[in-house]
Amino acid sequence: MSTAASVAVLSRRSVIGTARQPATWMPGLFFPLLIAAVNSAALTRATGLPGFPDVQSFLQFLLPATLIQGVLFGGIVGGADTALDIQNGFFERLLASPVRRSAILVGRLAGAAALGGVQALVFVAIFVVFGATIEGGLAAVAVLVVVGMILAVAVGGVASAIGLRTGSQEAVQNSFPLIFVLLFVSSAFFPTELMSGWYQTAAQANPLSWLIDAARDLVVVGFTWNQALAAVGWSVVLAVVGIAVALLALRRRLRVAS
Amino acid sequence: MSVARGVDGSPVAGGRAATASAGGGLWPVSAALAHRAYLGMVRIPATIIPTIVMPVFFVLAFGGAFGALTQLPGFPTDNILNWMAPFAILQGASFAGLGAAFNAGRDLENGFYDRLLLAPARRLSLATGPLLYSTARSLFPMCTVLPVALVGGARLVGGVAGLAVLAFAAAGTALLAGLWGLGVVWRLRTQRSTALVQIGLFAVLFLSVGQVPLEAMEGTWLEVVARYNPFTAVLDMARAGFLGPVGWSDVLPGVAAIAGGVVLLGWFAQRGFATFDK
Amino acid sequence: MNEPILVEGLSRRFGDLEAVSGVDLTVADGEVFGFLGPNGAGKSTTVRMLTTLLRPTGGRAVVAGYDVVRQADAVRRSIGVALQDAAIDPLMTGHELLRLQATLHGIGRSEARRKGDELLARVGLSAAGDRRVGTYSGGMRRRLDLALSLVHEPAVLFLDEPTTGLDPMSRIALWEEVRRLNTERGTTVFLTTQYLEEADQLAGRIAIIDHGRIVRQGTPTVLKAEVGAPTLVLTVDAAHREQARALLCERFGAERPAARPDDLAIGLAGGAAEVTAVVRALDELGATLEHLELSQPTLDDVFAEATGRRLEGAEGGAADGSTTDDGAATDGADDRDELAGERG
Repeated sequence: MSTAASVAVLSRRSVIGTARQPATWMPGLFFPLLIAAVNSAALTRATGLPGFPDVQSFLQFLLPATLIQGVLFGGIVGGADTALDIQNGFFERLLASPVRRSAILVGRLAGAAALGGVQALVFVAIFVVFGATIEGGLAAVAVLVVVGMILAVAVGGVASAIGLRTGSQEAVQNSFPLIFVLLFVSSAFFPTELMSGWYQTAAQANPLSWLIDAARDLVVVGFTWNQALAAVGWSVVLAVVGIAVALLALRRRLRVAS
Repeated sequence: MSVARGVDGSPVAGGRAATASAGGGLWPVSAALAHRAYLGMVRIPATIIPTIVMPVFFVLAFGGAFGALTQLPGFPTDNILNWMAPFAILQGASFAGLGAAFNAGRDLENGFYDRLLLAPARRLSLATGPLLYSTARSLFPMCTVLPVALVGGARLVGGVAGLAVLAFAAAGTALLAGLWGLGVVWRLRTQRSTALVQIGLFAVLFLSVGQVPLEAMEGTWLEVVARYNPFTAVLDMARAGFLGPVGWSDVLPGVAAIAGGVVLLGWFAQRGFATFDK
Repeated sequence: MNEPILVEGLSRRFGDLEAVSGVDLTVADGEVFGFLGPNGAGKSTTVRMLTTLLRPTGGRAVVAGYDVVRQADAVRRSIGVALQDAAIDPLMTGHELLRLQATLHGIGRSEARRKGDELLARVGLSAAGDRRVGTYSGGMRRRLDLALSLVHEPAVLFLDEPTTGLDPMSRIALWEEVRRLNTERGTTVFLTTQYLEEADQLAGRIAIIDHGRIVRQGTPTVLKAEVGAPTLVLTVDAAHREQARALLCERFGAERPAARPDDLAIGLAGGAAEVTAVVRALDELGATLEHLELSQPTLDDVFAEATGRRLEGAEGGAADGSTTDDGAATDGADDRDELAGERG
């Protein structure tokens, strides 16, 4: 089988496997939306605070963060599936088959990217229905979808790495709170301008903040190539890191297996 | 037909009535099951994280990210930690209750629950044992969150009374979360069903005055929901000591909400347990 | 004296599936009763009903003199149960589990400690008593499970596939223990198993369940005698197989299910004396006799006669197409499906 065909088959498997288990991806859709719903109401007055960016509504402010949160949570599922494959031996059978070894990982990540793109579209659609305007128009939406896909690869890579290292589905799921920490200490839910002290310093040093700020500009201000490139660029950086750790983990696992 | 005899040759059945088990009482069995849950925690220390580490993170994150909210009109304190610490403690307490459901789900999946169901003990102890432990464990988040909040400038101006109502609110939250969780898990009988338990807890916790007071959400749908969410009263009780001297009017609605919740969710759990006899 | 177990028309339906239908059983006091059947035949469902874990949808069962539905608590006081897969908390030690089990039965602290030590010694786990159960081997777990089920000295003991998945040595050790319990204490034992040898070794009487119905019941000796003729298994060259089959059935006895598809098996009506006649007849036919074996009736023959299938010893498929042998062979993995189905 050619590498491309292997990738197609394996990514198809990962998409179908995910779609068939609503219990695993529902929380990734449900929790971000619930947080967005609650916060857009609870913090609606916060947009009037001195120093808050000029936004249409808190809902609009939250769009990029919710989207990224959903993609990050969703990516965990892919990693957990890798661990499950190892637990129940599918991985060993893959290794024994003539499939190119990198195709195993690429297939998994391509599947994750497809899901990330779909997720991004779903979140954008829901937010627009509930009245959030996207100042950057279709071009901004396109960037958001691309960011969703790349970011899914990033987190999928990290999660797969944990899955490959530990072979334990539980260990991957336990990294869930870590993503929460990363998101919370960033500009995701509140502007860093309004934070103070060490928390503000940490949030401003978080690469997720840079990514989110750029994506947010596309939504609340308008489309500029600068911000579009920044959003995509930071996603790519995170994805490269994610793929690198995944490849390292895969090589380790292969050494152990062979 | 080969009917075996005892060693002395007499039919053994004569001694049967004497050897029948007395059946465990409510208190000893509850204590034993609580002890088992305790052993499970000390032997897998990672299971403490939800009740100890998570609430500390919550208070740091909510305090750090939303510090500016105290400038909103109607916000009853100028230090966000006074507002968020009780919320984080009650979240931790709800995780303590969730633990009861999680353990029951695991036991149901691997068959250990059969051993408990086969016991001639009071059935109620299968609820009281784990809930006893969850309620006790609800004090853990207080022990970790309070010091952090106090260092950050929070002040428990209500003194001992404030501490007491906070502890009571935490215990009540753990108990209610546990009843809800057991009710769900006894019906669905999988560990996975605890995800549903979590979603329910999350919704009740956040569709309330958890993050901002009612005044700050005036005119939104959330204001209506939060106003009628009984958990708002429990939160008000938990916060009373941080916002001023504790008066009966801060406490009574919360007590009523917990009492009503125990009756309602107790009934829900009991109906769930009844499915074992079908 | 009342029978420790009396079952009449017991049934259990799961949706459209009748897992157990109209089971009648009587187990006498002090007896070891073997309940035999392939995976999914309804063994576990029956045991769960007899031990109050599952409500029957029809019929009734009286255990230790009490009705399993109306007097469930009294039944629980009187029975000991070691369920399939020995569900024991891996984080607890043997001693801790025994203490918990004693508390569940209302046994006081000091009495519980004395009993715990005694029972651990009895099943040979004294040295491992303070170790976490997670470190135990499969055989040790089963023995601990057995000890747990004896804490309150029950009059009736239920053992659900006590040796499934165990190695031969552990299996024999467990058999010894069950035998000892039965002879020394007179404990009535209700034992389910998918191993014919286990039933043969332990049980005074057995019942065979298939597709939720009891198909045979009695002592192994009587059941084997009912099969009557010994089984002659032979292999002839493929070219003559059909001719040989017709000839043998016509002159020597009824065909029986064979364990391997290439074999012929018949019940030799005239007994061992006919073997020479069989050989001569095949020789006249011009068939090449590759293998010949005569065996006295076994429980497997009883099972085969009752169900048309073999339970054990089937290499490469059974005599007829609807085989159950795959699961029955060695491991208990498939049993979980059976249980899951029952719960669902």
